[in-house]
Order: sequence, then C-alpha cells, then structure tokens
Amino acid sequence: MENTLLRQFFIPSLKLKYLIRILLITLTAYLFFSYLCIPFYIKGISMEPTYSNGEFNFCWRLRYLLSKPKRFDVVVVRFAGTRIMLLKRVIAFEGEEVKFYEGKLFINGQKLDEPYLRYPCHWNLPPRRVEKGCLYLIGDNRSMPIEDHYFGQTLKSRVIGSPLW
Amino acid sequence: MVRIKFLLMGGVVLGLSLTLLLIYPQGEEKKIKKQFHLFSELVSKDSEEDSFTLLKKAKQIGSLFDDPCELKMSDPPLSGSYSREEIISFAIRARSHFSQLALKFYDLNIGLFQEGMARVVLTSRLIGRSTSGEGIDEVRELECLLEKIEKKWLFNQVEVVEVLKK
Repeated sequence: MENTLLRQFFIPSLKLKYLIRILLITLTAYLFFSYLCIPFYIKGISMEPTYSNGEFNFCWRLRYLLSKPKRFDVVVVRFAGTRIMLLKRVIAFEGEEVKFYEGKLFINGQKLDEPYLRYPCHWNLPPRRVEKGCLYLIGDNRSMPIEDHYFGQTLKSRVIGSPLW
Repeated sequence: MVRIKFLLMGGVVLGLSLTLLLIYPQGEEKKIKKQFHLFSELVSKDSEEDSFTLLKKAKQIGSLFDDPCELKMSDPPLSGSYSREEIISFAIRARSHFSQLALKFYDLNIGLFQEGMARVVLTSRLIGRSTSGEGIDEVRELECLLEKIEKKWLFNQVEVVEVLKK
C-alpha cells in the first residue's frame, strides 16, 4: 500500500486530472513569474554595496499598487519592457531641487544623510529641479566618476516595483 | 468516458494552439521583427574582419535604412537627417573601431499606426570590445519609425529615449 502511494506520488500515471493539474500549475507559475514577481540577475556595480554584481532577486510588481515610492526606496525601473531593467534608489520627488556638493546630497538646499553609502564620493552636481511626474534616482556606488554613473530623473510610470529583498 | 477524455484533451490542445497563434507575431509584425534580427546580425561581429567584409556589411546595414533617415541621439551626438551613404560611413567607422560587437534587441513593442508605417519601441543592448581592448556594455531604449518601401521595412527614424535624465 505504502509502496503504491509512493510510486503514485513520484511516478504518477498520466490521468486527465493529473494533466489538468500540471497545466494549471504551469499556467499559474508562468503568470506569477512573468507579471507579478519577475526574476532578475543584477549586472553591474552601480548599487554596490547594497546589491552586488551577479546577485539574484525578484521584482515585486505589487509593491507600489497602493502606495507611492518613498525617499531612499530602492526601485526597479523598466526600459521598453521588463527583459532589462534598472535598479536605483529614489532620492528626490517632483518639484524638489537636487544638488551634490563634495559628494554630499542636498535636497532643497538641505544636506541629507545617506546611511546606505559605504564608498567615498566627491561628486559635484549643479542644482536641478525634478520635473512634474518624475522621480530622481541614483545608485549607491558613487565611487566612480559622475560621468560614468547612470542616474537622473525618470517618469514615475517607469517604476514598476521594488526588489523582493 | 474515454471519448470525453479525448475531447477534453483535444480542447486543451486547441486552446494552446490558439494562444500560440495569438502570441506569435503575424504578417507585418513578423517582417518587422525579421528586419531587427537582420540588423542585429549585420552589426554583430566576433573577430577582426578584412576590408572587403567590412564594406559589404556596412552596405548591407545601410540598405536597412531609408534615404534619408533621421537620427536623434545624444551620445554619440548624432542628430539630424542622414543619407544612406552617411549611415554606411558611420557603420564603417564604428565597425572598424571594435574588434567584437553584439547588438541585441529586447521587448519589441510594434504598432502599425498607418498604412506602411510602424512605430517600434524596444530595448537595445550593445556589448563590445574596442580594438584597444576597452569594453562597452550599453543599454538604451529606442523608438524607431519604419516605413514600408518596395515590400521592405526600412528605418525612417531612430531616436534614443532618455530613460534617466541627469
């Protein structure tokens, strides 16, 4: 009896009920991992040390369904789709003025502490105002020259979620 | 009972086939995707090439563009209307600068908005190594307008979309 149950569990007979179950599981997994919880690999060092090159994570798309991104949230930004995405940190909102002086971040003239930063930064960026409907995003690794770091403001609608951890 | 089973299985197979048919690109969309695939193949190179191959590939790249074609990009700064000859010369210069190149396109969103015109928004990724050994890995969102001329979809306008604006 036990033997039969075990065999049935590991090598089930291809009954219609079993096939339908497999089909439903496959469909659910496909929809879940394609639209709700998208798996991705991190490529690049712009978010180090928070997220390192080669790490694996998921983009949780329901993160901002009922709320808006908060300052210092790490968000996932889409390009034309979700095959390649950006991982950045929100530092300013629409209407705010962003400036870097000697590596320190200033929002509306006020210096902001960024506890997640670990590497030295000496960036200088003249003040600029975040446009309507946009967020200002930046990576955590600011040890490289400012010209080599991909950051700036983007439309809120491009933010599609946040990393799961 | 067995007949019902077969009918149900037939229904599942039919449903899957219809889904595949809906997902799989049809007609013009398929042709447009083929043009992008061809563009990607022509740009990509694995090793150094002789001047004959370089010229041949550059001409083939040029033949994918309308004459003139409008380019809108900030880095490298290429904005304006360019003739096919100018695009061929850009292709020659770019290909001879790199020893390895791979251009890939992702997430092609194709919209046929009027007879013989298509708008494609996509993500492009260019990975390469220059002849001096410097590596590049650039991801950009592109918005392209393609026009159907003599049964061929040609690039009429290529614009680099600024996803993050400093």
